[in-house]
Amino acid sequence: MTTTTPVAADSRAGRSKRPSRRGRQEGIAAWVLALPFCALFLIFTLWPVLQSLFMSVTDTKSKDLRTPFSVDIVGLDNYTRALSDPVFRKAMFNTAYFVLIGMPLTLGLALAAALALDKGIRRFRAVFRLGFYLPVITSIVAVAVVWRFLLQHESGLINTVLGWVGIDGPNWLGDPNWSMPGLIMMASWRNFGTPMIIFLAGLQSVPAMLHEAAKIDGASALQRFRHVTIPMLRPTILFVSVTTSIGYIQFFEEPLIMTNGGPLNSTISISMYTYKQFGFGNYGFAASMSYLIFVIIAVVTAIQFRLLRENT
Amino acid sequence: MNAHPTFTRRTVFVVAGLTATTLALSACGREADSGGANAGASAKPIAEGKATGTLTVWAMGAEGEKLPALVKEFEAANPGAKVEVTAIPWDAAHDKFASAITAGQTPDAAMVGSTWMGEFAGMDALDPTPEGIDKASFFEGAQKTTEVDGTAYGIPWYVETRLVYYRTDLAAKAGFSEPPKDWDGLKAMAKAMQEKAGAKFGIGLQAGGQGSWQSIMPFAWSNGANLTKDDGKAYNFDTPEIAEAAKYYQSYFTDGIADKAAPAQPTTEPDFASGRVPMFISGPWMMSAVEKVGGAGFKDKYSVMAMPTKDSSSSFVGGSNFVVFKKTENRDSAWKLVQWLAQPETQVKWYQQSTDLPSVKSAWEDPAISADDKLATFGKQLETAQAPPTFPSWEQVITSFDTEMEKVTKQNADVGAALKTVQQQAESIGTGQ
Repeated sequence: MTTTTPVAADSRAGRSKRPSRRGRQEGIAAWVLALPFCALFLIFTLWPVLQSLFMSVTDTKSKDLRTPFSVDIVGLDNYTRALSDPVFRKAMFNTAYFVLIGMPLTLGLALAAALALDKGIRRFRAVFRLGFYLPVITSIVAVAVVWRFLLQHESGLINTVLGWVGIDGPNWLGDPNWSMPGLIMMASWRNFGTPMIIFLAGLQSVPAMLHEAAKIDGASALQRFRHVTIPMLRPTILFVSVTTSIGYIQFFEEPLIMTNGGPLNSTISISMYTYKQFGFGNYGFAASMSYLIFVIIAVVTAIQFRLLRENT
Repeated sequence: MNAHPTFTRRTVFVVAGLTATTLALSACGREADSGGANAGASAKPIAEGKATGTLTVWAMGAEGEKLPALVKEFEAANPGAKVEVTAIPWDAAHDKFASAITAGQTPDAAMVGSTWMGEFAGMDALDPTPEGIDKASFFEGAQKTTEVDGTAYGIPWYVETRLVYYRTDLAAKAGFSEPPKDWDGLKAMAKAMQEKAGAKFGIGLQAGGQGSWQSIMPFAWSNGANLTKDDGKAYNFDTPEIAEAAKYYQSYFTDGIADKAAPAQPTTEPDFASGRVPMFISGPWMMSAVEKVGGAGFKDKYSVMAMPTKDSSSSFVGGSNFVVFKKTENRDSAWKLVQWLAQPETQVKWYQQSTDLPSVKSAWEDPAISADDKLATFGKQLETAQAPPTFPSWEQVITSFDTEMEKVTKQNADVGAALKTVQQQAESIGTGQ
């Protein structure tokens, strides 16, 4: 911590501080009003966070829950154990695979759908918009049932269509090499609705005069998209990619319902492995993995902010 | 709060300081192991007389829905007693029990999954079974699921075991009028189903993955395997008996008799009804499931056979137990309810209401059950069926077994190396006791 911060803070506080009675009363009133929030925050937000952090450096198991403090502190053992656990590593690899392929695919689909809705589709626009958004608000359980049929090996719709063009479709959920692509397809289809809506709003806020000016200068549609639309969308892209990546790093429901992490652990994600460890009662170990996920999310978000920040 | 940036920081320090103090004061660190507080605990007998007072009981799934009707008769026989049954969905049950035990808010009695016994007994939540309940009246394998570290807690309430289902009509086509008795016979039959009866796969075996131990261990137990060693204090996976059974199981996949790329959601019933896969291993609930898919008359087109013999014929015994919690304020009445549930007449009635198979051996002599040939085969298998050890860490350890067996079946991995890995992981996890 630098010494400049408190000084700056003090000087700012000093400027706003008025030694009048009224000001002090207002201050007290503000505190009284803020007290319920502060109390709730401390008890229900800060305390659980601190306790889980504490848990992550102990050997807490489910049978210790009645006496949460009579456990041994093991330092960073849980963290090193997680990082050297072959299944956790596999889960990290799977999650990275899912995010690196799934996120661009989702955002690409979302942008394409948003462009179509903004420029191409004139009729039934509301119907299309609803249709694209529908998977987001549909229960994952119902979606999973449908997708299990779609992804079936011999009679599934996807493989039937692939068969029409002479491709022998894989055993999507049964083959460890194809299970992840299968889930990525499903997740992209399910999740592109939200970024699409946000992109649509972003596209509609691009000033038409910029496009007109570029058109007069002789820019083609592709050039206008590349040099006008994309730069104007930069803040939207940043927002959408940060929210999507946070969701995707915690990728959990799809493998839990569709494959239970299999076959051969090819679809187990870090969230799901953490969940399983909680289920086994290894609370300390699982808590340390939760914090590892938190660190990964923080780092990935920081990288995105750095890459996509506005060039001012 | 932005106007007071120092406040948040200060608060964090105060809270952190307080936390640290609390931790220091509450003397972190485990207490010295008392060597199992319950070891050799001798339970008080159940008091004489009728049950009285209100009993809260938790039960899961279909049992939770059907139990209230059954306990009406208990209430009729004990006019002073009232039983309040709370139905809990299976998915949420384990967590609900764990948090109830932690909070000291357990019901008086409850149905619990047989693999949770070690964990709950380890949390010192269960009351040891008193003398008034005859432990020898239950199937031995089922009774073992209630015993943790030598002490019995509660009773096995209902049981299930795994048998080989097969299509009798297709078996006749394949040249088998009688079910085979041993390992070689079963494999020959499965192969003949493929070659002569038009089956795509001879037998449906789970290719590893969650719960596959329930199909693999029956072979190992039939080969004399014992999952514990050192006087029941440690896991024992890396043995020649299990290895031989796993190799036998693997051979079905390498020979193309069983499907190694079965879908994530098995299609057992339709495949069985269509004859695509005319054999599989499963529990008694599959009878109504295949008959529903197969339609009228399908009842006579299939049968069940005991697990094939190697050293003996053994299978897996599952089901649920019924326990009394230590925290109950109505212990004697709670045990009276359990005692009543374990009576052969109650067990038969319960079978008629729920189709849950009785855990009490003498209940199987009732014509309502003994008249059915297929059920009788289940009853015979239950006499030798075995249960896994009641270690609290069982669920976690067996997950690694399931994962390794997936490699064995799908990738033709070496059985010896796989079992070595399982044993290593089991040792590093420990029994949890």
